[in-house]
Amino acid sequence: MSPPRARSVERLASVGRVAGAALSRSLGAFWVLLALSSLVFLALRVLPGDPAALVLGEQAKEADRAALRARLGLDRSLGAQYVSFVWGLARLDLGDSLSRPGVPAFAEVRRAFGPTAALASTAVLLGAVLGVAAALLCVGPWLRERREWAHAALVAVAATPLVAFAPVATFFLAVEHRLVPLPGDPDSGFAGLLFASGLLAVPLAAQVGRIGRAALLEQSRARYLDVAAAKGASPSRVWLVHALPVASGPIAVTVATQLGALLGGAVVLERLFERPGLGTLMLNAYAARDIPVLEAAVVAAGSLFVLAQGAAGAVTATLDPRGRR
Amino acid sequence: MTVAVRPSQLARIVVPLLPACAVIVLSAAVVVFGHRSPTRLTLESSWAGPSGSRPFGSGDAGVDVLAIVGYGTLRAIGLALSVAVFGFAVGAPLGTAAALRGGLAERWTLRAADLVQSFPTFLLALAVLSAVRTPSRWHMGMIFAIGAWAPFARLALVQARAIAGAPFVEATRALGGSFARVLFRHVLPNVLGPVAVQLGGVAAGVVLGETALGFVGLGPPDGVSLGGLLEQGTAGMLRAPHVLVAGALAVMVVSGSLQMASEGVRRWVTGAGN
Repeated sequence: MSPPRARSVERLASVGRVAGAALSRSLGAFWVLLALSSLVFLALRVLPGDPAALVLGEQAKEADRAALRARLGLDRSLGAQYVSFVWGLARLDLGDSLSRPGVPAFAEVRRAFGPTAALASTAVLLGAVLGVAAALLCVGPWLRERREWAHAALVAVAATPLVAFAPVATFFLAVEHRLVPLPGDPDSGFAGLLFASGLLAVPLAAQVGRIGRAALLEQSRARYLDVAAAKGASPSRVWLVHALPVASGPIAVTVATQLGALLGGAVVLERLFERPGLGTLMLNAYAARDIPVLEAAVVAAGSLFVLAQGAAGAVTATLDPRGRR
Repeated sequence: MTVAVRPSQLARIVVPLLPACAVIVLSAAVVVFGHRSPTRLTLESSWAGPSGSRPFGSGDAGVDVLAIVGYGTLRAIGLALSVAVFGFAVGAPLGTAAALRGGLAERWTLRAADLVQSFPTFLLALAVLSAVRTPSRWHMGMIFAIGAWAPFARLALVQARAIAGAPFVEATRALGGSFARVLFRHVLPNVLGPVAVQLGGVAAGVVLGETALGFVGLGPPDGVSLGGLLEQGTAGMLRAPHVLVAGALAVMVVSGSLQMASEGVRRWVTGAGN
């Protein structure tokens, strides 16, 4: 037992450490975002080809192209364009959409953000819960010797690609058996969201299950579990209350590393189910060469990804004191 | 690191490699001996089911699904293997050098690997593809090459860290061996084997990434890719499910065979054939 004064100093130091880590993390996130937005900026301007020609097509009149270039600021020097681009990002104003005049690019992004956030967060929730449940089934006493089957199933699911599996599952469940709404059904509502995020959650759940199983197995021989069992804790209590919190660090890391794949999967599923969202917005903006919307959406999606990863990192640091350095 | 291979081990090494070889040979046979171009349209047989002359049936506007599977598979594997080999050639020396230097170089390499490995390919693809009029193989390769070095560098770093303090490395240093000599003559050769194990997994990842990009419409403009086939199959799900099934099976077989090949490489490298 340390005296109260020393303890409060210690606490202050640990608060400082956490704040420092948060600061360095957000600085890192800032650099990543700046790099990504600069890449998008450069891709649309430096690489060969006139963006105005890409937008308007080959046959456009030179006067129209010049007007569009002036509107997008492409006639100014690259440095000046970059400064106004970064300034626009800081004010969340990259100009109006080209395909829907009068609508600011960031307003389009804000509108598309909700559906994607709902899809992705439901998928993360489902994936984490299902994955942890599967991991517990793989190590706990409930399945007895059939635990190995559960593990084999996990490995098989983890090896099944979402892009091939999702359309086939949709075909069987929506077209053959009419259990879930058909793709493109505008009234699919909550059932549609649940089905789409359920599909999106499958690879995540399999990864979480595999890593969670390994983490739990590592704990399984630890003495503290024997102590808990000796004190009369039921198997469920031993695994859920004692082992699971210790194993949750690797699980949080797994979720964090899967976030990029999750975003890619969300784009695939939005396309499959013709759902509105960030992915659909980006694909449409790409097809129409709607430069302001494309810039705004890519930067927004990138920020979302970096933020989510930072949050997962913070969660990991809270769960596992060894990570606090 | 050369591993002596006994005939009994040979089978355990070769068998996992067979599916990938079979996939390559079969799709090459479709490309060479099949007389239908994957882009030829025959409107009268649009969405027609499998038949004797077209074992996988026809797709949108009567394209031959078998031809698309053949060409798409060969293109996907070609892209995947080039990207994987590129990532290996860049990542293994990079990770090894970072481990030998240690300190800041090591930390930054790991951090950069973390970043590019978890970064959404889709955003990179949009950024790269929006700059060009017609996306080509090169652009696709670029998108995946940006991240392909990371898994190799990370594993090479871990492996090299274990070797960096070995007596023979110390001895070379003590004898005045330069950094490049230590790196390329003494450490890197010992790292290459274990790192090569990841070739198959990375290649399979590229196949899936390319398929996903093709599925959402960022694939080759002529639509001849596994992702393009899946997209067609999804659009024609109600009329002609055979297109979707063929596409999905092709994707699973290709990525699965590459994953299995990586197990064969692992057995060869680790000498775990017995």
